[in-house]
Amino acid sequence: MRTALLAAAACVVAIGIVTGQAGAPAARNVRGGVEESKSTSAAVPDWSGVWQMVGPTVFDRATVQPQNGRAGDPGVREFPPYTDEYEAIYRKNIERIKAGTFPDPISVCGVPHGFPRIMNVPDVYEFAVTPAATYVLAENGPGILRIYTDGRKHPPAEELWGTYTGASVGHWEGDTLVFETRGLKESRDNDVIVDRTGLVLSDAAKVATRMRKVNDMMMEAAITVEDSKALKAPWKVTKQYRKLPAGTWAWDYGCAENNRNPISNSGKTLTLGPDGKPIDKNTN
Amino acid sequence: MTFTRVLAAAALLAAMSAPLAAHHSAAMFDDDKVVELNGTIKEVQWTNPHVWIQVVVDTEGQKTEWSIEGGSPNSLSRNGWKATTFKSGDPVVMRVNPMKDGTPGGSFIGAKWKETGKTIGRWD
Repeated sequence: MRTALLAAAACVVAIGIVTGQAGAPAARNVRGGVEESKSTSAAVPDWSGVWQMVGPTVFDRATVQPQNGRAGDPGVREFPPYTDEYEAIYRKNIERIKAGTFPDPISVCGVPHGFPRIMNVPDVYEFAVTPAATYVLAENGPGILRIYTDGRKHPPAEELWGTYTGASVGHWEGDTLVFETRGLKESRDNDVIVDRTGLVLSDAAKVATRMRKVNDMMMEAAITVEDSKALKAPWKVTKQYRKLPAGTWAWDYGCAENNRNPISNSGKTLTLGPDGKPIDKNTN
Repeated sequence: MTFTRVLAAAALLAAMSAPLAAHHSAAMFDDDKVVELNGTIKEVQWTNPHVWIQVVVDTEGQKTEWSIEGGSPNSLSRNGWKATTFKSGDPVVMRVNPMKDGTPGGSFIGAKWKETGKTIGRWD
């Protein structure tokens, strides 16, 4: 019996170590302060199907100049209410695009798009809704945005660190998913961007999103970005997603499968030939 | 206008309004220029993040291999392409936005099979 008790005690300690809970308040870390009933009883809307963002991958289509300009084309820009500091950063990025030395950080096939960019990518989306969480599944990337709706709160600021998609906590207001995203990674040397025109945010960004199904064929995400370092005022952008025909497939997107576009030291995007060597005349 | 034509027009509009699925800056391509390649398919790499089509162009006995980039197989398959759409040895005419630096590479626009006259992509 004594041996059995010792073994049980050792097992409890081992589980605590494996799950990283040794010495931590068990109630908060194990359940996140969430009552189980909140995560299983609520009805959720049907957002099933495969969806595609409407329009090009310009984050703020309402302000883009020239109109219908494509993200990444020289001279195309949007007009977020940037502070002087971030307007200067944006202009510098725009100049780098003109010079062909502004690489997209996802070109290396090793990092996610991040948030809010994940709401602004090509290819298709699926929105997996459960009572406890909603998952935005972007085929391109691939990218996953987790939005917890189980009653938890955001971690305290001192427990958050900058990540590509941050920490999203939400709740339902009727058929609208309302969530806030914090803990976003600051763009350092453009290692995370909002879109390919060169938009970036700081680590002070907080994003409030209201997402709903407008009708059977259209989803909408109303996004409000606040950033005390980068923005002088809230920046409001609405993205829409059109439902594709029933039976449409979303596929695996293994970006590193055959990436023939490495980045040079100067930031130029190169093109590899079938032998794996750049075909570009200038590879610097 | 027949129902079929309406559907075709709607599908074309939807395809044109869909976001392009490049995973990198397109600064290397000259969007204002179209080059027509008269050649033979050597290889198709039906892979992510981009499909690559290797086309050999024979100009007065001098063979040049071009690397042509397409969208992702995911997006292309949703627009009617298959991994076997182009086969090794197919004689084709292919239109591309070429590399700005003049090297033999480009971004796919459309193609026409010489033997059947069938086309794919944008071919006006």
